[in-house]
Amino acid sequence: MLGLAASRKTAWRLAVRTDEELIAEILNGETATFSELATRHRPRVERLCQRFFSDAETARDLAQEAFIRAYTALATYRREMPFGAWLRAIVTNLCYDELRRRRRRPEELVADFTAPEVQWMNLVNEATPEEIVAAAEERREAHDLANRLLDTLRAEDRTVLILKDSEELNVSEIAEIMGWSEAKVKIRAFRARQALRKQSEAMKSAVRRGRR
Amino acid sequence: MEKKLNCFEARQEFRAFWRRELTPEQRTTLVAHMAECLKCDRAFRDFALSAPALHSAEEPPRRSPADRPAMRDAHSQRPPAVVRSRFAPRRGLAMSAAAMVLVAASLAAYFSVTAPIDSLNDELSAEPAATQLFGSDLNISSEDLAG
Repeated sequence: MLGLAASRKTAWRLAVRTDEELIAEILNGETATFSELATRHRPRVERLCQRFFSDAETARDLAQEAFIRAYTALATYRREMPFGAWLRAIVTNLCYDELRRRRRRPEELVADFTAPEVQWMNLVNEATPEEIVAAAEERREAHDLANRLLDTLRAEDRTVLILKDSEELNVSEIAEIMGWSEAKVKIRAFRARQALRKQSEAMKSAVRRGRR
Repeated sequence: MEKKLNCFEARQEFRAFWRRELTPEQRTTLVAHMAECLKCDRAFRDFALSAPALHSAEEPPRRSPADRPAMRDAHSQRPPAVVRSRFAPRRGLAMSAAAMVLVAASLAAYFSVTAPIDSLNDELSAEPAATQLFGSDLNISSEDLAG
């Protein structure tokens, strides 16, 4: 009974205190409060890392690393920007650097699809849009294939696509996070879509050739 | 009266459609547009190939170990030449071998045409090239040349 009340109280405290209040407390020496801040933002941070790296372990490691960086740089945080946005910039730059470190060149799409992947592509080609959306939720191969498709992009292109499409940021926000010009963001977004379209076509024609 | 979408508006809604954030009316309108517009239908199918990684809230769980043998079989049926893990290191090895051959050939070419020079003094006091080639007996005067 007492435990339930205590957990409710903790939940209430978590819900009520703003990020800025928690940060002020951490900077005043209450370092343990950082875990509250991390708990609050962890799902979003891990999801963003997963957009860059489909491997769950890598995504978790990067999320952890991002929180360490955020903690060490917390004194430099300024209130003009929401903490979530500041943290997102840290996560994005960390993932972008890791992507560049791992692959100097984008991988070539290897046209060796497993049977479930071929089934998924056939479904995408033939089913109704609503059937496609419903089927994608349960199919692991849809995610694997999508990640392979994204692996063919350059690190810059993948980053722009994630920030623009998944995080729904505008060009100036992306430019600020990445330290690029707005023109560069626009060019990379255009090239990313172009490359993605080309790779999708290549994938579809490889499946069609396999069917013959 | 049912609202009609143009292609730009329709494509703007792909993301919300994928995330199931559209109202039933909006969904019906979008689906009706895609049924009529072949370009938007194709664009949605392209979008659907990358959307699971970019737009889905959560990934479905990884396959259980029981499902893995089937996947392994599928992989083992592929011709070895197209398997990424086998192909990439070979290419790296070939590139390093080519680079080493190139460096060795350049060094050999360099040392075959460049005579070692001990010091600048030796170089300055060396006999002229014609003397080195034909010996000191070769002494051509201007009269010989004239006449």
